[in-house]
Amino acid sequence: MGNNTGMWTLAQRETSRFLRVWQQTIIPPVITSTLFILIFGYSLGSRIKMVGDVGYLEFIIPGLLMMGVIMSAYMNTSSSLFISKFQKNIQEMLVSPLSYWQIIAALTMAAVFRGVLVGVSILGVSYIFADITVSNFFILSYFMIMVSTIFAFAGIATALWATSFDKMNVFATFIITPLTYLGGVFFSIQMLPPMWQNVARFNPILYMVDGFRYGFIGTSDVSLGFSIGLVAVLVIGFGALCVHLFKIGYRLRD
Amino acid sequence: MSALIKSLSTTFITSPPNFFIVDAITIKDLKKIYPKTEALKGITFSIQEGEFFGLLGPNGAGKTTAIHILTGLANKTSGEVTLFGKDVVKDYKEARALIGLVPQEFNFDQFEKVYNILYFASGYFGIPSDLRKKRIEKVLKELGLWEKKDMKAITLSGGMKRKLMIARALVHEPKILILDEPTAGVDVETRKSIWQFIRKLNKSGVTILLTTHYLEEAEELCERIAIINHGEITTLDSKNNLLKLLEGERLCLTLKEELKIPANLKKYDVTINGKIMTIALDQKKDKWETVLADIQGLPIEKMETHKNKLEDIFIHLTNGK
Ligand SMILES: Nc1ncnc2c1ncn2[C@@H]1O[C@H](COP(=O)(O)OP(=O)(O)OP(=O)(O)O)[C@@H](O)[C@H]1O
Ligand SMILES: [Mg+2]
Repeated sequence: MGNNTGMWTLAQRETSRFLRVWQQTIIPPVITSTLFILIFGYSLGSRIKMVGDVGYLEFIIPGLLMMGVIMSAYMNTSSSLFISKFQKNIQEMLVSPLSYWQIIAALTMAAVFRGVLVGVSILGVSYIFADITVSNFFILSYFMIMVSTIFAFAGIATALWATSFDKMNVFATFIITPLTYLGGVFFSIQMLPPMWQNVARFNPILYMVDGFRYGFIGTSDVSLGFSIGLVAVLVIGFGALCVHLFKIGYRLRD
Repeated sequence: MSALIKSLSTTFITSPPNFFIVDAITIKDLKKIYPKTEALKGITFSIQEGEFFGLLGPNGAGKTTAIHILTGLANKTSGEVTLFGKDVVKDYKEARALIGLVPQEFNFDQFEKVYNILYFASGYFGIPSDLRKKRIEKVLKELGLWEKKDMKAITLSGGMKRKLMIARALVHEPKILILDEPTAGVDVETRKSIWQFIRKLNKSGVTILLTTHYLEEAEELCERIAIINHGEITTLDSKNNLLKLLEGERLCLTLKEELKIPANLKKYDVTINGKIMTIALDQKKDKWETVLADIQGLPIEKMETHKNKLEDIFIHLTNGK
Protein backbone atom coordinates (compact mmCIF):
# COMPACT_ATOMS: atom_id res chain seq x y z
CA MET A 1 0.00 0.00 0.00
CA GLY A 2 2.53 2.54 1.18
CA ASN A 3 2.25 6.00 -0.19
CA ASN A 4 -1.21 7.20 0.81
CA THR A 5 0.10 10.66 1.62
CA GLY A 6 1.04 10.92 -2.04
CA MET A 7 -2.40 9.97 -3.21
CA TRP A 8 -4.11 12.41 -0.86
CA THR A 9 -1.74 15.16 -1.91
CA LEU A 10 -2.69 14.66 -5.52
CA ALA A 11 -6.39 14.52 -4.67
CA GLN A 12 -5.98 17.72 -2.69
CA ARG A 13 -4.22 19.44 -5.57
CA GLU A 14 -6.90 18.38 -8.01
CA THR A 15 -9.66 19.53 -5.69
CA SER A 16 -8.16 22.92 -5.00
CA ARG A 17 -7.61 23.32 -8.73
CA PHE A 18 -11.34 23.33 -9.48
CA LEU A 19 -12.49 24.96 -6.24
CA ARG A 20 -10.20 27.92 -6.88
CA VAL A 21 -12.17 28.67 -10.05
CA TRP A 22 -15.60 27.63 -8.77
CA GLN A 23 -17.21 30.36 -10.87
CA GLN A 24 -16.09 28.42 -13.93
CA THR A 25 -16.47 24.90 -12.62
CA ILE A 26 -19.51 24.80 -10.35
CA ILE A 27 -21.74 27.67 -11.45
CA PRO A 28 -22.11 27.07 -15.24
CA PRO A 29 -23.73 23.61 -15.01
CA VAL A 30 -26.10 24.94 -12.36
CA ILE A 31 -27.13 27.78 -14.66
CA THR A 32 -27.59 25.41 -17.61
CA SER A 33 -29.80 23.11 -15.56
CA THR A 34 -31.84 26.02 -14.24
CA LEU A 35 -32.44 27.21 -17.80
CA PHE A 36 -33.58 23.75 -18.81
CA ILE A 37 -35.91 23.60 -15.83
CA LEU A 38 -37.41 26.96 -16.79
CA ILE A 39 -37.78 26.15 -20.48
CA PHE A 40 -38.97 22.57 -20.29
CA GLY A 41 -40.54 22.56 -16.89
CA TYR A 42 -42.65 25.64 -17.26
CA SER A 43 -43.21 26.53 -20.86
CA LEU A 44 -43.23 23.16 -22.58
CA GLY A 45 -43.73 20.76 -19.71
CA SER A 46 -47.33 21.69 -19.17
CA ARG A 47 -48.10 20.39 -22.65
CA ILE A 48 -46.24 17.09 -22.27
CA LYS A 49 -48.39 14.31 -20.88
CA MET A 50 -46.53 12.00 -18.58
CA VAL A 51 -46.65 8.27 -18.24
CA GLY A 52 -47.86 7.48 -14.77
CA ASP A 53 -48.48 10.16 -12.20
CA VAL A 54 -45.07 11.88 -12.11
CA GLY A 55 -45.03 15.53 -13.12
CA TYR A 56 -42.76 16.47 -15.99
CA LEU A 57 -40.51 18.66 -13.82
CA GLU A 58 -40.01 15.89 -11.26
CA PHE A 59 -39.23 13.62 -14.18
CA ILE A 60 -36.56 15.74 -15.86
CA ILE A 61 -34.77 17.12 -12.79
CA PRO A 62 -32.94 13.85 -11.99
CA GLY A 63 -31.85 13.66 -15.62
CA LEU A 64 -30.62 17.24 -15.68
CA LEU A 65 -28.77 16.59 -12.47
CA MET A 66 -27.12 13.51 -13.93
CA MET A 67 -26.15 15.52 -17.02
CA GLY A 68 -24.38 18.08 -14.84
CA VAL A 69 -22.67 15.37 -12.81
CA ILE A 70 -21.44 13.51 -15.91
CA MET A 71 -20.01 16.60 -17.59
CA SER A 72 -18.37 17.90 -14.42
CA ALA A 73 -16.64 14.65 -13.58
CA TYR A 74 -15.51 14.22 -17.16
CA MET A 75 -14.24 17.79 -17.47
CA ASN A 76 -12.30 17.61 -14.24
CA THR A 77 -10.06 14.70 -15.07
CA SER A 78 -9.78 15.34 -18.79
CA SER A 79 -8.87 19.01 -18.58
CA SER A 80 -6.54 18.60 -15.63
CA LEU A 81 -4.66 15.69 -17.13
CA PHE A 82 -4.52 17.23 -20.57
CA ILE A 83 -3.11 20.49 -19.26
CA SER A 84 -0.53 18.69 -17.18
CA LYS A 85 0.46 16.66 -20.21
CA PHE A 86 0.71 19.87 -22.20
CA GLN A 87 2.80 21.66 -19.56
CA LYS A 88 4.68 18.44 -18.84
CA ASN A 89 4.05 18.73 -15.10
CA ILE A 90 2.47 15.30 -15.36
CA GLN A 91 6.10 14.19 -15.13
CA GLU A 92 6.01 15.20 -11.48
CA MET A 93 3.61 12.32 -10.91
CA LEU A 94 5.38 9.93 -13.23
CA VAL A 95 8.76 10.25 -11.52
CA SER A 96 7.21 9.89 -8.08
CA PRO A 97 6.60 6.60 -6.27
CA LEU A 98 2.84 6.98 -6.73
CA SER A 99 1.46 3.76 -8.14
CA TYR A 100 -0.62 3.99 -11.28
CA TRP A 101 -3.83 3.16 -9.53
CA GLN A 102 -3.10 5.79 -6.88
CA ILE A 103 -2.73 8.46 -9.55
CA ILE A 104 -5.99 7.36 -11.12
CA ALA A 105 -7.76 7.12 -7.77
CA ALA A 106 -6.65 10.60 -6.74
CA LEU A 107 -7.73 12.20 -10.02
CA THR A 108 -11.02 10.34 -9.81
CA MET A 109 -11.78 11.27 -6.21
CA ALA A 110 -11.47 14.95 -7.04
CA ALA A 111 -13.65 14.53 -10.13
CA VAL A 112 -16.33 12.66 -8.18
CA PHE A 113 -16.25 15.38 -5.56
CA ARG A 114 -16.80 18.00 -8.24
CA GLY A 115 -19.61 15.92 -9.72
CA VAL A 116 -21.31 15.61 -6.36
CA LEU A 117 -20.90 19.33 -5.59
CA VAL A 118 -22.50 20.22 -8.91
CA GLY A 119 -25.23 17.63 -8.36
CA VAL A 120 -26.07 18.93 -4.91
CA SER A 121 -26.08 22.52 -6.16
CA ILE A 122 -28.48 21.69 -8.96
CA LEU A 123 -30.64 19.81 -6.49
CA GLY A 124 -30.68 22.86 -4.24
CA VAL A 125 -31.85 25.08 -7.09
CA SER A 126 -34.45 22.51 -8.16
CA TYR A 127 -36.18 22.76 -4.77
CA ILE A 128 -37.16 26.29 -5.72
CA PHE A 129 -39.11 25.05 -8.73
CA ALA A 130 -40.43 21.65 -7.83
CA ASP A 131 -41.46 19.36 -5.04
CA ILE A 132 -38.55 16.99 -5.02
CA THR A 133 -38.88 13.83 -3.01
CA VAL A 134 -36.19 11.25 -2.50
CA SER A 135 -37.52 7.73 -2.54
CA ASN A 136 -34.28 5.83 -2.10
CA PHE A 137 -31.22 7.74 -0.95
CA PHE A 138 -28.94 4.75 -1.28
CA ILE A 139 -29.76 4.15 -4.95
CA LEU A 140 -29.45 7.84 -5.66
CA SER A 141 -25.98 8.05 -4.10
CA TYR A 142 -24.89 4.85 -5.79
CA PHE A 143 -25.65 6.20 -9.23
CA MET A 144 -24.29 9.65 -8.52
CA ILE A 145 -20.93 8.31 -7.33
CA MET A 146 -20.57 5.41 -9.74
CA VAL A 147 -21.53 7.46 -12.79
CA SER A 148 -19.14 10.26 -11.92
CA THR A 149 -16.46 7.60 -11.45
CA ILE A 150 -17.14 6.20 -14.93
CA PHE A 151 -16.84 9.61 -16.55
CA ALA A 152 -13.81 10.55 -14.48
CA PHE A 153 -12.14 7.42 -15.87
CA ALA A 154 -13.35 8.27 -19.38
CA GLY A 155 -11.87 11.74 -18.94
CA ILE A 156 -8.51 10.23 -17.97
CA ALA A 157 -8.51 7.91 -20.99
CA THR A 158 -9.40 10.70 -23.44
CA ALA A 159 -6.82 13.08 -21.99
CA LEU A 160 -4.17 10.42 -22.48
CA TRP A 161 -5.31 9.75 -26.02
CA ALA A 162 -5.78 13.37 -27.07
CA THR A 163 -2.84 15.08 -28.70
CA SER A 164 -4.64 18.39 -29.18
CA PHE A 165 -7.42 20.44 -27.64
CA ASP A 166 -9.65 19.65 -30.61
CA LYS A 167 -9.38 15.93 -30.02
CA MET A 168 -10.25 16.48 -26.38
CA ASN A 169 -13.56 17.96 -27.44
CA VAL A 170 -14.39 15.14 -29.81
CA PHE A 171 -15.45 12.75 -27.08
CA ALA A 172 -17.54 15.34 -25.24
CA THR A 173 -19.20 16.78 -28.33
CA PHE A 174 -19.77 13.67 -30.40
CA ILE A 175 -20.35 11.05 -27.75
CA ILE A 176 -21.27 12.32 -24.30
CA THR A 177 -23.57 15.18 -25.31
CA PRO A 178 -25.69 13.28 -27.86
CA LEU A 179 -25.92 10.20 -25.68
CA THR A 180 -27.05 12.26 -22.71
CA TYR A 181 -29.66 14.18 -24.68
CA LEU A 182 -30.94 10.92 -26.11
CA GLY A 183 -30.51 9.09 -22.80
CA GLY A 184 -33.98 9.72 -21.50
CA VAL A 185 -33.24 12.96 -19.71
CA PHE A 186 -36.18 14.74 -21.29
CA PHE A 187 -38.45 11.84 -22.14
CA SER A 188 -39.38 8.39 -21.01
CA ILE A 189 -38.39 5.76 -23.55
CA GLN A 190 -41.90 4.41 -23.24
CA MET A 191 -42.94 7.51 -25.18
CA LEU A 192 -40.90 6.28 -28.17
CA PRO A 193 -42.15 3.99 -30.93
CA PRO A 194 -41.05 0.36 -30.32
CA MET A 195 -38.26 0.40 -32.88
CA TRP A 196 -36.66 3.51 -31.39
CA GLN A 197 -37.09 2.03 -27.93
CA ASN A 198 -34.82 -0.82 -29.04
CA VAL A 199 -32.24 1.58 -30.43
CA ALA A 200 -32.33 3.64 -27.26
CA ARG A 201 -31.54 0.57 -25.20
CA PHE A 202 -28.02 0.53 -26.66
CA ASN A 203 -27.29 3.83 -24.99
CA PRO A 204 -25.56 3.23 -21.64
CA ILE A 205 -26.43 6.69 -20.36
CA LEU A 206 -30.11 5.71 -20.50
CA TYR A 207 -29.53 3.22 -17.68
CA MET A 208 -27.56 5.72 -15.62
CA VAL A 209 -30.29 8.34 -15.87
CA ASP A 210 -33.04 5.82 -15.34
CA GLY A 211 -31.44 4.25 -12.28
CA PHE A 212 -30.64 7.62 -10.80
CA ARG A 213 -34.21 8.78 -11.38
CA TYR A 214 -35.43 5.71 -9.52
CA GLY A 215 -33.66 7.12 -6.46
CA PHE A 216 -36.03 10.09 -6.63
CA ILE A 217 -39.34 8.89 -7.98
CA GLY A 218 -39.18 5.21 -7.03
CA THR A 219 -40.04 3.84 -10.49
CA SER A 220 -37.91 3.06 -13.49
CA ASP A 221 -38.40 2.53 -17.23
CA VAL A 222 -35.91 -0.31 -17.46
CA SER A 223 -34.85 -2.95 -14.97
CA LEU A 224 -33.18 -1.31 -11.97
CA GLY A 225 -31.08 -4.39 -11.30
CA PHE A 226 -29.69 -4.29 -14.82
CA SER A 227 -28.82 -0.59 -14.50
CA ILE A 228 -27.03 -1.18 -11.21
CA GLY A 229 -25.07 -4.05 -12.73
CA LEU A 230 -24.21 -2.19 -15.92
CA VAL A 231 -22.88 0.80 -14.02
CA ALA A 232 -20.69 -1.47 -11.89
CA VAL A 233 -19.36 -3.23 -14.98
CA LEU A 234 -18.56 0.10 -16.64
CA VAL A 235 -16.68 1.31 -13.55
CA ILE A 236 -14.55 -1.82 -13.59
CA GLY A 237 -14.04 -1.71 -17.35
CA PHE A 238 -13.01 1.93 -17.57
CA GLY A 239 -10.92 1.60 -14.41
CA ALA A 240 -9.02 -1.34 -15.86
CA LEU A 241 -8.53 0.57 -19.11
CA CYS A 242 -7.00 3.52 -17.25
CA VAL A 243 -4.64 1.36 -15.20
CA HIS A 244 -3.60 -0.44 -18.36
CA LEU A 245 -2.92 2.82 -20.20
CA PHE A 246 -0.76 4.10 -17.34
CA LYS A 247 1.06 0.82 -17.11
CA ILE A 248 2.09 0.81 -20.75
CA GLY A 249 2.64 4.56 -20.55
CA TYR A 250 0.25 5.22 -23.41
CA ARG A 251 1.24 8.65 -24.79
CA LEU A 252 2.84 9.34 -21.43
CA ARG A 253 6.18 7.66 -21.83
CA ASP A 254 8.00 7.52 -25.17
CA MET B 1 20.57 -7.90 24.91
CA SER B 2 18.35 -5.67 22.85
CA ALA B 3 20.55 -2.73 23.79
CA LEU B 4 23.51 -4.63 22.40
CA ILE B 5 21.75 -5.35 19.15
CA LYS B 6 20.72 -1.73 18.95
CA SER B 7 24.22 -0.42 19.45
CA LEU B 8 25.60 -2.98 17.01
CA SER B 9 23.09 -2.06 14.37
CA THR B 10 23.68 1.66 14.75
CA THR B 11 27.44 1.28 14.36
CA PHE B 12 26.77 -0.85 11.34
CA ILE B 13 24.51 1.71 9.78
CA THR B 14 26.59 4.78 10.54
CA SER B 15 29.89 3.26 9.43
CA PRO B 16 29.32 0.52 6.89
CA PRO B 17 32.30 -1.75 6.36
CA ASN B 18 34.35 -1.37 3.20
CA PHE B 19 33.22 -4.53 1.46
CA PHE B 20 29.80 -2.96 1.42
CA ILE B 21 30.35 -0.78 -1.63
CA VAL B 22 26.98 -0.44 -3.24
CA ASP B 23 26.05 0.34 -6.80
CA ALA B 24 23.63 3.23 -6.81
CA ILE B 25 22.89 2.86 -10.52
CA THR B 26 23.47 -0.21 -12.67
CA ILE B 27 22.75 -0.11 -16.39
CA LYS B 28 23.16 -3.31 -18.40
CA ASP B 29 23.02 -3.44 -22.19
CA LEU B 30 20.33 -0.78 -22.31
CA LYS B 31 18.74 -0.26 -25.68
CA LYS B 32 16.17 2.24 -26.80
CA ILE B 33 14.80 2.22 -30.30
CA TYR B 34 12.47 4.98 -31.43
CA PRO B 35 10.53 4.45 -34.65
CA LYS B 36 13.19 6.28 -36.65
CA THR B 37 16.17 6.38 -34.31
CA GLU B 38 18.26 3.95 -32.38
CA ALA B 39 18.81 6.30 -29.48
CA LEU B 40 20.69 3.84 -27.24
CA LYS B 41 22.56 0.93 -28.76
CA GLY B 42 23.19 -1.13 -25.64
CA ILE B 43 24.97 0.91 -23.02
CA THR B 44 26.45 -0.59 -19.87
CA PHE B 45 27.90 1.11 -16.83
CA SER B 46 27.39 1.45 -13.12
CA ILE B 47 27.72 4.28 -10.66
CA GLN B 48 28.71 3.71 -7.07
CA GLU B 49 27.00 5.17 -4.08
CA GLY B 50 28.36 8.62 -3.32
CA GLU B 51 29.95 9.11 -6.71
CA PHE B 52 29.77 12.26 -8.82
CA PHE B 53 29.35 10.91 -12.32
CA GLY B 54 29.23 12.83 -15.58
CA LEU B 55 27.54 11.75 -18.79
CA LEU B 56 29.00 13.80 -21.56
CA GLY B 57 28.00 13.91 -25.18
CA PRO B 58 26.94 16.07 -28.10
CA ASN B 59 23.34 16.90 -29.02
CA GLY B 60 21.31 13.83 -29.79
CA ALA B 61 23.81 11.44 -28.22
CA GLY B 62 21.18 9.76 -26.05
CA LYS B 63 21.80 11.35 -22.66
CA THR B 64 18.24 12.45 -21.99
CA THR B 65 16.89 9.17 -23.30
CA ALA B 66 19.02 7.26 -20.79
CA ILE B 67 17.90 9.51 -17.95
CA HIS B 68 14.26 9.19 -18.93
CA ILE B 69 14.50 5.42 -18.74
CA LEU B 70 16.11 5.67 -15.31
CA THR B 71 13.36 7.92 -13.99
CA GLY B 72 10.28 6.35 -15.53
CA LEU B 73 9.69 8.93 -18.25
CA ALA B 74 10.52 6.57 -21.11
CA ASN B 75 10.14 2.85 -21.69
CA LYS B 76 13.28 0.91 -22.50
CA THR B 77 13.40 -1.38 -25.50
CA SER B 78 15.64 -3.93 -23.76
CA GLY B 79 18.30 -4.21 -21.11
CA GLU B 80 18.23 -3.78 -17.37
CA VAL B 81 18.38 -0.78 -15.07
CA THR B 82 18.49 -1.01 -11.30
CA LEU B 83 18.85 1.62 -8.60
CA PHE B 84 20.28 0.26 -5.36
CA GLY B 85 19.15 -3.11 -6.63
CA LYS B 86 15.60 -2.01 -7.44
CA ASP B 87 14.51 -2.62 -11.01
CA VAL B 88 13.12 0.58 -12.54
CA VAL B 89 10.26 -1.32 -14.16
CA LYS B 90 9.44 -4.17 -11.77
CA ASP B 91 10.05 -2.27 -8.52
CA TYR B 92 9.17 1.09 -9.97
CA LYS B 93 7.79 2.59 -6.76
CA GLU B 94 10.86 1.74 -4.67
CA ALA B 95 13.19 2.80 -7.47
CA ARG B 96 11.50 6.17 -7.98
CA ALA B 97 11.52 6.99 -4.29
CA LEU B 98 15.33 6.98 -4.50
CA ILE B 99 15.67 9.58 -7.23
CA GLY B 100 15.42 13.31 -7.56
CA LEU B 101 15.30 14.50 -11.16
CA VAL B 102 16.21 17.90 -12.54
CA PRO B 103 15.05 17.57 -16.14
CA GLN B 104 16.47 19.33 -19.16
CA GLU B 105 13.19 21.05 -20.00
CA PHE B 106 10.93 23.00 -17.67
CA ASN B 107 8.18 20.69 -16.54
CA PHE B 108 6.31 22.42 -13.76
CA ASP B 109 2.87 24.00 -13.79
CA GLN B 110 3.76 27.47 -15.03
CA PHE B 111 0.75 29.05 -13.37
CA GLU B 112 1.34 27.55 -9.96
CA LYS B 113 3.16 29.31 -7.16
CA VAL B 114 6.74 28.29 -6.44
CA TYR B 115 5.90 27.12 -2.95
CA ASN B 116 2.94 25.02 -4.06
CA ILE B 117 4.95 23.35 -6.80
CA LEU B 118 7.38 22.06 -4.20
CA TYR B 119 4.63 21.29 -1.71
CA PHE B 120 2.66 19.08 -4.09
CA ALA B 121 5.60 17.44 -5.87
CA SER B 122 7.17 16.32 -2.60
CA GLY B 123 3.77 15.26 -1.35
CA TYR B 124 3.64 12.73 -4.17
CA PHE B 125 6.74 11.20 -2.60
CA GLY B 126 4.79 10.63 0.58
CA ILE B 127 6.56 13.23 2.72
CA PRO B 128 4.24 14.32 5.56
CA SER B 129 3.00 17.87 5.33
CA ASP B 130 4.89 19.29 8.36
CA LEU B 131 8.19 17.88 7.23
CA ARG B 132 7.60 19.19 3.73
CA LYS B 133 7.06 22.70 5.00
CA LYS B 134 10.32 22.66 6.93
CA ARG B 135 12.35 21.23 4.10
CA ILE B 136 10.86 23.53 1.47
CA GLU B 137 11.81 26.56 3.52
CA LYS B 138 15.32 25.23 3.97
CA VAL B 139 15.97 24.37 0.34
CA LEU B 140 14.39 27.55 -1.02
CA LYS B 141 16.53 29.63 1.31
CA GLU B 142 19.66 27.73 0.35
CA LEU B 143 18.99 28.34 -3.31
CA GLY B 144 18.03 31.97 -2.80
CA LEU B 145 14.42 31.52 -3.91
CA TRP B 146 12.64 32.06 -0.61
CA GLU B 147 11.56 35.60 -1.52
CA LYS B 148 9.93 34.22 -4.66
CA LYS B 149 7.91 31.54 -2.93
CA ASP B 150 4.55 33.18 -3.59
CA MET B 151 5.29 34.07 -7.20
CA LYS B 152 3.89 32.10 -10.08
CA ALA B 153 6.57 29.99 -11.73
CA ILE B 154 6.00 31.70 -15.06
CA THR B 155 7.20 34.99 -13.59
CA LEU B 156 10.63 33.61 -12.63
CA SER B 157 13.75 34.19 -14.71
CA GLY B 158 15.29 31.28 -16.59
CA GLY B 159 18.01 30.78 -14.00
CA MET B 160 15.48 30.86 -11.18
CA LYS B 161 13.37 28.27 -12.97
CA ARG B 162 16.42 25.97 -13.09
CA LYS B 163 16.92 26.47 -9.39
CA LEU B 164 13.25 25.81 -8.78
CA MET B 165 13.64 22.44 -10.48
CA ILE B 166 16.71 21.69 -8.38
CA ALA B 167 14.77 22.56 -5.24
CA ARG B 168 11.87 20.40 -6.32
CA ALA B 169 14.18 17.41 -6.82
CA LEU B 170 15.47 17.65 -3.26
CA VAL B 171 12.53 18.09 -0.90
CA HIS B 172 12.06 14.32 -0.60
CA GLU B 173 15.82 13.94 0.09
CA PRO B 174 16.67 11.43 -2.63
CA LYS B 175 19.76 9.21 -2.46
CA ILE B 176 20.41 9.79 -6.14
CA LEU B 177 20.20 13.18 -7.81
CA ILE B 178 20.03 13.22 -11.58
CA LEU B 179 20.63 16.51 -13.34
CA ASP B 180 20.07 16.82 -17.08
CA GLU B 181 22.02 19.89 -18.15
CA PRO B 182 21.25 21.83 -15.00
CA THR B 183 23.10 24.95 -16.02
CA ALA B 184 21.82 25.34 -19.58
CA GLY B 185 21.04 29.01 -20.15
CA VAL B 186 22.31 30.11 -16.77
CA ASP B 187 24.75 33.00 -16.19
CA VAL B 188 28.27 32.44 -14.90
CA GLU B 189 27.55 33.50 -11.36
CA THR B 190 24.42 31.38 -11.00
CA ARG B 191 26.24 28.46 -12.59
CA LYS B 192 28.98 28.70 -9.99
CA SER B 193 26.46 28.85 -7.18
CA ILE B 194 24.67 25.79 -8.56
CA TRP B 195 28.00 23.96 -8.80
CA GLN B 196 28.81 24.79 -5.24
CA PHE B 197 25.39 23.67 -4.13
CA ILE B 198 25.48 20.28 -5.80
CA ARG B 199 29.07 19.67 -4.76
CA LYS B 200 27.95 20.15 -1.18
CA LEU B 201 25.11 17.71 -1.70
CA ASN B 202 27.54 15.15 -3.06
CA LYS B 203 29.79 15.64 -0.03
CA SER B 204 26.80 14.90 2.18
CA GLY B 205 26.50 11.50 0.50
CA VAL B 206 24.10 12.02 -2.40
CA THR B 207 25.06 10.11 -5.54
CA ILE B 208 25.03 12.43 -8.51
CA LEU B 209 24.57 11.77 -12.20
CA LEU B 210 24.96 14.84 -14.35
CA THR B 211 24.77 15.38 -18.07
CA THR B 212 26.27 18.38 -19.70
CA HIS B 213 27.67 19.93 -22.84
CA TYR B 214 29.87 22.18 -20.80
CA LEU B 215 33.16 20.40 -20.49
CA GLU B 216 34.24 22.90 -17.93
CA GLU B 217 31.34 21.71 -15.83
CA ALA B 218 32.31 18.02 -16.03
CA GLU B 219 35.94 18.87 -15.41
CA GLU B 220 35.01 20.97 -12.42
CA LEU B 221 32.62 18.53 -10.78
CA CYS B 222 32.77 14.92 -11.88
CA GLU B 223 34.98 12.16 -10.56
CA ARG B 224 34.19 9.77 -13.36
CA ILE B 225 33.03 10.55 -16.84
CA ALA B 226 31.35 8.54 -19.54
CA ILE B 227 31.37 9.92 -23.04
CA ILE B 228 28.36 8.97 -25.10
CA ASN B 229 27.95 9.48 -28.81
CA HIS B 230 25.34 8.12 -31.23
CA GLY B 231 23.87 5.99 -28.45
CA GLU B 232 27.12 4.31 -27.49
CA ILE B 233 29.51 4.81 -24.62
CA THR B 234 32.81 5.52 -26.30
CA THR B 235 34.88 6.18 -23.19
CA LEU B 236 34.44 5.67 -19.49
CA ASP B 237 37.15 6.60 -17.07
CA SER B 238 38.04 8.75 -14.12
CA LYS B 239 38.45 12.40 -14.97
CA ASN B 240 42.11 12.26 -13.99
CA ASN B 241 42.82 9.36 -16.31
CA LEU B 242 41.01 11.06 -19.13
CA LEU B 243 43.07 14.17 -18.66
CA LYS B 244 46.25 12.07 -18.59
CA LEU B 245 45.21 10.42 -21.81
CA LEU B 246 45.95 13.59 -23.66
CA GLU B 247 48.40 15.00 -21.24
CA GLY B 248 50.58 17.62 -22.79
CA GLU B 249 50.41 20.92 -24.47
CA ARG B 250 49.74 22.34 -27.86
CA LEU B 251 51.69 25.06 -29.51
CA CYS B 252 49.54 27.18 -31.80
CA LEU B 253 51.26 29.33 -34.38
CA THR B 254 49.52 31.91 -36.48
CA LEU B 255 51.61 32.32 -39.60
CA LYS B 256 51.87 35.24 -41.97
CA GLU B 257 51.18 32.96 -44.94
CA GLU B 258 49.87 29.46 -45.57
CA LEU B 259 52.55 26.79 -45.59
CA LYS B 260 52.94 23.06 -46.01
CA ILE B 261 54.36 21.15 -43.05
CA PRO B 262 58.13 21.75 -43.18
CA ALA B 263 60.28 18.62 -43.29
CA ASN B 264 61.98 19.25 -39.97
CA LEU B 265 58.60 19.37 -38.19
CA LYS B 266 57.37 16.03 -39.55
CA LYS B 267 58.58 14.27 -36.40
CA TYR B 268 55.90 16.14 -34.43
CA ASP B 269 52.13 15.75 -34.47
CA VAL B 270 51.38 18.78 -36.64
CA THR B 271 48.07 19.93 -38.10
CA ILE B 272 47.57 22.88 -40.41
CA ASN B 273 44.36 24.78 -40.76
CA GLY B 274 44.79 27.75 -43.06
CA LYS B 275 47.40 29.96 -41.48
CA ILE B 276 47.16 28.22 -38.15
CA MET B 277 49.68 25.53 -37.39
CA THR B 278 49.17 23.39 -34.30
CA ILE B 279 51.91 21.27 -32.84
CA ALA B 280 50.76 18.77 -30.22
CA LEU B 281 53.55 18.13 -27.76
CA ASP B 282 54.10 14.99 -25.84
CA GLN B 283 55.50 16.03 -22.50
CA LYS B 284 57.59 12.92 -22.16
CA LYS B 285 59.23 13.03 -25.56
CA ASP B 286 59.35 16.56 -26.82
CA LYS B 287 61.63 19.16 -25.32
CA TRP B 288 60.74 22.82 -25.55
CA GLU B 289 64.25 23.86 -26.58
CA THR B 290 64.32 21.51 -29.58
CA VAL B 291 60.82 22.54 -30.60
CA LEU B 292 61.69 26.21 -30.42
CA ALA B 293 64.82 25.58 -32.43
CA ASP B 294 62.81 23.68 -35.06
CA ILE B 295 60.27 26.43 -35.60
CA GLN B 296 62.88 29.07 -36.09
CA GLY B 297 62.66 30.71 -39.46
CA LEU B 298 58.90 30.22 -39.83
CA PRO B 299 56.97 33.43 -40.62
CA ILE B 300 55.30 33.57 -37.21
CA GLU B 301 52.82 36.32 -36.49
CA LYS B 302 51.51 35.06 -33.14
CA MET B 303 52.37 32.20 -30.82
CA GLU B 304 50.27 30.64 -28.05
CA THR B 305 50.41 27.50 -25.95
CA HIS B 306 47.40 25.57 -24.64
CA LYS B 307 47.18 22.95 -21.97
CA ASN B 308 44.96 20.06 -23.01
CA LYS B 309 41.53 20.08 -21.49
CA LEU B 310 38.67 17.69 -21.40
CA GLU B 311 37.32 19.57 -24.38
CA ASP B 312 40.19 18.36 -26.52
CA ILE B 313 39.66 14.80 -25.40
CA PHE B 314 36.01 15.17 -26.20
CA ILE B 315 36.65 16.45 -29.70
CA HIS B 316 39.30 13.81 -30.16
CA LEU B 317 37.00 10.99 -29.05
CA THR B 318 33.75 12.04 -30.63
CA ASN B 319 35.46 12.56 -33.96
CA GLY B 320 36.09 8.86 -33.84
CA LYS B 321 39.87 9.24 -33.97
N1 LIG C 1 10.27 10.90 -28.29
C1 LIG C 1 11.15 10.64 -29.26
N2 LIG C 1 10.74 10.10 -30.41
C2 LIG C 1 11.62 9.81 -31.38
N3 LIG C 1 12.94 10.04 -31.30
C3 LIG C 1 13.41 10.58 -30.16
C4 LIG C 1 12.55 10.91 -29.08
N4 LIG C 1 13.30 11.42 -28.09
C5 LIG C 1 14.57 11.42 -28.52
N5 LIG C 1 14.65 10.91 -29.76
C6 LIG C 1 15.87 10.75 -30.56
O1 LIG C 1 16.82 10.03 -29.81
C7 LIG C 1 18.13 10.56 -30.01
C8 LIG C 1 18.74 10.90 -28.66
O2 LIG C 1 18.06 12.01 -28.09
P1 LIG C 1 18.36 12.55 -26.64
O3 LIG C 1 17.32 13.55 -26.30
O4 LIG C 1 18.52 11.40 -25.72
O5 LIG C 1 19.76 13.27 -26.86
P2 LIG C 1 20.62 14.11 -25.82
O6 LIG C 1 21.93 13.43 -25.71
O7 LIG C 1 19.88 14.35 -24.57
O8 LIG C 1 20.78 15.47 -26.62
P3 LIG C 1 20.83 16.98 -26.09
O9 LIG C 1 22.22 17.21 -25.65
O10 LIG C 1 20.52 17.75 -27.33
O11 LIG C 1 19.82 17.14 -25.03
C9 LIG C 1 17.97 11.74 -30.94
O12 LIG C 1 18.29 11.32 -32.23
C10 LIG C 1 16.51 12.08 -30.85
O13 LIG C 1 16.03 12.62 -32.05
MG1 LIG D 1 19.19 15.97 -23.61
